[in-house]
Amino acid sequence: KQWYQRRVAITAGEEDDDIDRLKKSAHKKKGRGLARSDVLKGDFEELDGDTRPGAPQKSIEGWIIFVTNVHIEATENDIFDKFSEYGDIKNLHANLDRRTGYLKGYVCIEYEQHTEARAAVEALNGADFLGQELKVDWAFTRPGTKNKVKRKERRRGRSPSPDSD
Amino acid sequence: KQWYQRRVAITAGVGHKGKFGHEFLEFEFRPDGKLRYANNSNYKNDTMIRKECNVSAPVLKELARVIEEAEIMYEDDKMWPAPDRIGRQELEIVHKNQHICFNTSKIGSLVDVNSSKDPDGLRAFYYLVQDLKCFVFSLIGLHFKIKPI
Repeated sequence: KQWYQRRVAITAGEEDDDIDRLKKSAHKKKGRGLARSDVLKGDFEELDGDTRPGAPQKSIEGWIIFVTNVHIEATENDIFDKFSEYGDIKNLHANLDRRTGYLKGYVCIEYEQHTEARAAVEALNGADFLGQELKVDWAFTRPGTKNKVKRKERRRGRSPSPDSD
Repeated sequence: KQWYQRRVAITAGVGHKGKFGHEFLEFEFRPDGKLRYANNSNYKNDTMIRKECNVSAPVLKELARVIEEAEIMYEDDKMWPAPDRIGRQELEIVHKNQHICFNTSKIGSLVDVNSSKDPDGLRAFYYLVQDLKCFVFSLIGLHFKIKPI
């Protein structure tokens, strides 16, 4: 295989694991775009919102939060009442366990406004609900993890070029 | 990163070649959170729906819990009916250090499960696939505002 069949990748959209690995294996890095490489990540449909890794991502008509450790005998009404305090609920999916007929234990809730969804996450994550501690978080986030532990890569050979991160 | 952000991946597909061409539904969760969904049917000349999004760590964690609760990793598809003309179902899961890749025919109802050679195993599969579909349909349906069926 020629070197260009192994080590060239031009990205103009979706990142793939292979491409990430490829980029990371490159020793010399140049270009102003490097420092802002996040610009090309994620879905193009988003024009606003946080683009940082791990940031909550907006859905097509609102913001969706994901609730787990929900008591399996809770009713949709119970859940609705608990979560409607923080905003106007546009959608609520409290899926059933197909075998038992009880709740599976997770619920997806959609609010129109980011502020409403965030208020629900902050207020109800860890809250008691029918004797169980709810876990509430965003359902969709930007790829990558926040609070990335920065590890200094051991470079072999010559000292790093001034342009590399 | 939590283990479920590195070591859970699941791919599932259901399909059949019927009157309306090759109809199939497939979805995939990757450890980095990527969720891919494809639904194809030529019924009324529908085109293929392909969606992709990125789910959060809590979603992956719940997915791992659903898989564990189903105890599917203890099963084996050896005695299950093979995929046939009528259709096929496939489920591939990498979970912690285990990797399963099961396939079987379409299951019409619990009657088919109970009359099979491995009713307990097939039942676990049957319900897990339904639970996974619900999980995916809610996520994809809410995120993209499409009705999956």
